[in-house]
Amino acid sequence: MTKGPLKHFQDVDDARRTLESAGYVCTPDIATVVFLAAAGDKPILVEGPAGVGKTELAKAMATGLGYELIRLQCYEGLDEAKALYEWEYAKQLLYMQMVRENVNDLLAGADSLADAVDLIAAQADVFFSDRFLLPRPLLQAILSPTPVVLLVDEVDKSDPEFEAFLLELLSDFQVTIPELGTRRAVGVPLVVLTSNAFRDLSDALKRRCLHLYIDYPEADVEREIVRRQVPGLSEALARQMTSAMARIRRLELKKRPSIAETLDWARALINLQIESLSPEAVLATLSVICKYREDSDLVRKDLNGVVNL
Amino acid sequence: MEAMVLKFVDAVRAAGLRVSTVEVMDCLNHLSLVDVLDEGQFATVLRSSFAKSYPERLRFDQLYHLFFHELRERLEPTSEPLADHAEALRQALVDAEPERAELGPIADFLVARPEAYLRLITNLSNPEPAQAAMGDQFGAGLSGIGPRLSVLMALDRVSPLLKAFLEENRHQIPYDLRRALEDEIRRRLSTARRLLLRVDQPLGRGPVEPRAAVADVYGDLGNTPFANLSPREMRRMSDTIATLVRKLRDSASRRFAARARGVPDLRGTLRAAMRTQGTPIVLKFRHKPQRKARILALCDVSSSVWSYARFTLTMLYALQDCFGRVRSFVFVDEPVEVTHHFDDHEVAQALQLVLKSPEITFEASTDYGRMLRLFESRHMDAVDKKTTVIIIGDGRTNYRDPAPTVLAEIRSHARRVLWLNPESSPFWHTGDSEMRTYEPLCNEVRPCQNLNQLAAFFHELVL
Repeated sequence: MTKGPLKHFQDVDDARRTLESAGYVCTPDIATVVFLAAAGDKPILVEGPAGVGKTELAKAMATGLGYELIRLQCYEGLDEAKALYEWEYAKQLLYMQMVRENVNDLLAGADSLADAVDLIAAQADVFFSDRFLLPRPLLQAILSPTPVVLLVDEVDKSDPEFEAFLLELLSDFQVTIPELGTRRAVGVPLVVLTSNAFRDLSDALKRRCLHLYIDYPEADVEREIVRRQVPGLSEALARQMTSAMARIRRLELKKRPSIAETLDWARALINLQIESLSPEAVLATLSVICKYREDSDLVRKDLNGVVNL
Repeated sequence: MEAMVLKFVDAVRAAGLRVSTVEVMDCLNHLSLVDVLDEGQFATVLRSSFAKSYPERLRFDQLYHLFFHELRERLEPTSEPLADHAEALRQALVDAEPERAELGPIADFLVARPEAYLRLITNLSNPEPAQAAMGDQFGAGLSGIGPRLSVLMALDRVSPLLKAFLEENRHQIPYDLRRALEDEIRRRLSTARRLLLRVDQPLGRGPVEPRAAVADVYGDLGNTPFANLSPREMRRMSDTIATLVRKLRDSASRRFAARARGVPDLRGTLRAAMRTQGTPIVLKFRHKPQRKARILALCDVSSSVWSYARFTLTMLYALQDCFGRVRSFVFVDEPVEVTHHFDDHEVAQALQLVLKSPEITFEASTDYGRMLRLFESRHMDAVDKKTTVIIIGDGRTNYRDPAPTVLAEIRSHARRVLWLNPESSPFWHTGDSEMRTYEPLCNEVRPCQNLNQLAAFFHELVL
């Protein structure tokens, strides 16, 4: 491949800076994959435990580059009408009612029934035009004149049929609407797919995408995230918090706390005006960290270990 | 650069990861875009193009380390004379005992060409069908161990051969080079040994973590293993299971009832209204196509799980009662369908019928491999993309061939394969238990010893 002008980012470092300008602290891994995806027009398939910032990555890409973010949330039963486009039947009907009188004027010149039908046929396209087309996220992303980031969230929750359809779209970036013809993408959108490994995705889809696995962050990366997102937090407390969090994650929990929980916890500690982490402080804010009673019990049992006393 | 990546791809494929040509091309394109001297970026490019799921990623990292770190150093072009001697050694190893086929790949591995060796040990854990069929005969039952043993023995032969080679050439090779060569080869030999012994350990099961804690709803009764119940507790247990089933059926039917009503379908209604000049006379509703989940359960009733059999069968009965389309099979060494017993009779009577059924060969010894193969040839049509296959059993197959390829085949046809094991997990990898082989092939494996675990499983199956 010859080195043409690169789209979106200059190099890996540029990608990292852009993401960081949007408040997203990223590892070199993430920056590299984002850069490659942008340079090669490939979708990114992001996997990882819940709450490590999979969706956030797409948002940061959009914010950092100044692009619009178009989001499609997948769920069981999602179909083309909700993902791609739909005709606005109600509007068509309304227009039909309103123009009913004009039809007589139109047909004034017709001599025979055949002529009248021809005259009407010539006007039929009016009702199947962009005016009555309701674009859904996927079509919006394709037709957008400015570059966009398309986030297909939790793609593993959708049905296999939809996945196959998505595959077609992602490989050609064009959509055929029977009444209007084929619409080709103006600019290829940056596509981010996220998955929680709810079910195995098809090999074909995986082959098309660059795979990125985001794990729970290292303690110092997490500290950096907390520092950026929660400004009032003292350096010492952030250090205590993130190492306590790392220890909590090592327990056999039903649901391990993720970055989202760490941020909530930091905000809770600030609101309670706690300066230094003590077992009592953890106990008071336990409901922020653990979402199951069994998990709370586990942490409570090991409070001193968690705070490292 | 290109050649090195292609060689790596070969190794990755040999180790059992599926890498397509398109992915290789993409990877090479991407490498031209990044700074390849930065190892972090280089590794990320390869990883994001070749490893497309979490378990694959773990495997990839192992291979990457092996290929670019453990085997790259010292013997490579940096030291010309050493590489020459290494080649001579390889030739000597291959020629020494031509009847030992395993020595060839091992010798290649020692001079940094790991593909053949990786392929060899990958094939060990997924035997070819022909080999698997051979394992069916009596005595060949140790098929999983046999080939591995011969590789191990070949590895053991390398050390004396190396010594002999060095002795023979002691005048041609200077002392320090000889030392360097010996150290390096010994280090790689131990890597090869480690790979062989470690490779079939189950890889991580992906981001879905096994749920450690199970809700404790049923108190003491819920935590007592099925095997340790007194007759009185057994009666209580049956009652509790009946209640559990009733509850589940209620929640399942509520869910379907809400679906059946459906929401008004504007698009359909208006389209129907076109016929009547735009006046909506017939209302249309959007009926979501029900996902008709099918369940296919295979339940071990052999003597090793006899104490659980009553409960696993009660479980099967409950499953069939709860869900619309369930087919139940029981097996010792061949699968027998018992769906009709459960359909036509009350639970106690059905259990009696099954446990006394003449079709089931209770006196045979458990053979999961045979069971899977027979299941594949007779009942494979029952498995489609909507089918959840549940296997209930301890995976103890009396050292017979476990036929993992057949289970993999079943999984590729099914929606998911779940395994419930009545033994607790520390015992899974002991003795003749083949859970080690089966575990990476299932979507989920969980212990199911008591009522709490059973209830948790049912709950997640429905919701």
